[in-house]
Amino acid sequence: MNFLSGIQATASALNAEKVRMDVVAQNIANAHTTRDTDGQAYRRKVVSFEALLGADASIGGVKIDGITNDPAQGELVYQPQHPHANADGYVQMPNVNVAMEMVDLLTASRAYEANLAVARNARQMAAKALTIGR
Amino acid sequence: MVALALLCLPLVIEQLFSSSNYQATKQLLDVAVRRHEAVATNLANIETPGYKRVDLPKEFAHELASRIRSGDAKSVVIPDFVQDLTISSQRKDGNNVDMDKEMMALSKNAAEFDALADFVSGSLKQLRLAITGRNL
Repeated sequence: MNFLSGIQATASALNAEKVRMDVVAQNIANAHTTRDTDGQAYRRKVVSFEALLGADASIGGVKIDGITNDPAQGELVYQPQHPHANADGYVQMPNVNVAMEMVDLLTASRAYEANLAVARNARQMAAKALTIGR
Repeated sequence: MVALALLCLPLVIEQLFSSSNYQATKQLLDVAVRRHEAVATNLANIETPGYKRVDLPKEFAHELASRIRSGDAKSVVIPDFVQDLTISSQRKDGNNVDMDKEMMALSKNAAEFDALADFVSGSLKQLRLAITGRNL
């Protein structure tokens, strides 16, 4: 029995959603990066989640399964003066779609808020339980 | 006489705390906490692909109600969560958690918990009033 019921699940979710927001920030920051560390154009990162259920199904939560590259191909833009242009004058742009990232950011922040509400609720319940008999 | 009263005191107190509605309230508080855990788990996994919402089994509510009616709330064992597959997923990733429903369940559960806690507080206050004759 925990003092704040379900707090591990909520904490893991808050952490996971924050990582997702960090990754969105990383993607938007690199929306025009034509050279990543591997010499290729930047590829947007995607966070995947995995459910976490304890043996007695009580300590649930979420865990980050991994951060992977989106395999989609970015567009080729004709810019012969660009230092990263290929022999034909085309530049491979990153596959980041800023509108999509913004939607992801909003979803992550709403999920974060929902979990904050759960934490607030757990706190209120604990405070109420402490006043029993008073 | 005083010695006899002192000897009987633990028994009297014991009886006060084993009255059936006191036991029922205690069980219901534990159930509320358990349900809060279920909602917390569901909201934590709101973005997990393929996740199905968990809850206490539906039959449990009936079992609890009948046990309480028969004054046997003490013997209730709170079961583990089960996956709720009755709600079909409205999303592509197979996740069937609905944020609005979960938030409603969260508020409802918290209100229930508050009411039960108030009830326990109330009966303890009455007990204190009976002992001291003062409403502190």
